[in-house]
Amino acid sequence: MNEINYLLAVMLVMTVSTYITRLTPFLLFGKGQESSLLNYISKSTPPMVMTILVIYMLKDVEYFTFEIVYTFIALLVTTGLHIYKRNALLSIVSGTVVYMIFVQT
Amino acid sequence: MIRSALKISLPILFGFVPLGIAFGLLFQELGYPWYFASLMGIFVYAGAAQFMAIGLLSSGIGLLEIAISTFFLNSRHMFYGLAFLESFGNWNLRKLYLIFGLTDETYALMTTIKVPKHFTKERYYFFITLFAQMYWVLGCTIGALTANALSFNTNGMEFAATALFVVLLIEQWIKVKRLLPFIIAFIASGIALFFFIKHMLLVAIILSIGSIVLLRLIKTNSNE
Repeated sequence: MNEINYLLAVMLVMTVSTYITRLTPFLLFGKGQESSLLNYISKSTPPMVMTILVIYMLKDVEYFTFEIVYTFIALLVTTGLHIYKRNALLSIVSGTVVYMIFVQT
Repeated sequence: MIRSALKISLPILFGFVPLGIAFGLLFQELGYPWYFASLMGIFVYAGAAQFMAIGLLSSGIGLLEIAISTFFLNSRHMFYGLAFLESFGNWNLRKLYLIFGLTDETYALMTTIKVPKHFTKERYYFFITLFAQMYWVLGCTIGALTANALSFNTNGMEFAATALFVVLLIEQWIKVKRLLPFIIAFIASGIALFFFIKHMLLVAIILSIGSIVLLRLIKTNSNE
């Protein structure tokens, strides 16, 4: 198999594999088949997933280094601005700019 | 509707473009033509899996291993669809695309926002999903094209993804106003990080969902 064919095959396999993970719940649970338990799960999952994703993104921050200090400051900027203004773009861009300034200097 | 969806999807732009650029830059090191980075974004469309693919491609690993590792890496997405069983509408091409485009970011955004009353949910979601993928493909392409010529220092830009999830976490808090899911997810993440750091996301989600199901069953039983 040459290089490009190998890459194309990998892409195909990854596309199918990823699609299956996203499609599964729709195949398992049809529309109008919602039970109160399933409903409860789908309602509680977003706050849990968001909590987990934030922790996941922060898991590689090294303790007892300057990194944890500026990560914390950037988080504070994003959180503070968002509570104050509730403008998602503003909160994300400001926190990221603060973080980039610290990383690059 | 398109303008409203575009506006509400913009936070994803700031998460996806820098991450896509990072992918494109790394992908170019493999030496394929640049447009394969775009094609990866168009067809595979999975951030973590695409980064994993760079490592796997350079080692020339077998297709079966790639299928299995992609599947496990993305298996948390199995829980994402549960929130949209109803709101993705009837089976048609649009629904198939909405499912295809259900990434961490679109899931996070679409479960948090309120679709304006006068818009059809599935059409509104469709535009968000489409815009999100365009941002991603754009990022991958820019990264691949500028791999040798990038002058702008993008160090630290990856924080945009973290900031996006933080913002959506606050929005979830405003929306849900119950402490329990957050606490459960926090504890589950701790356990997952401690024991299964390699599969942290999946383990944490399974633990969390398992716990709330258990709590719910205990509660309904004690009410009888």
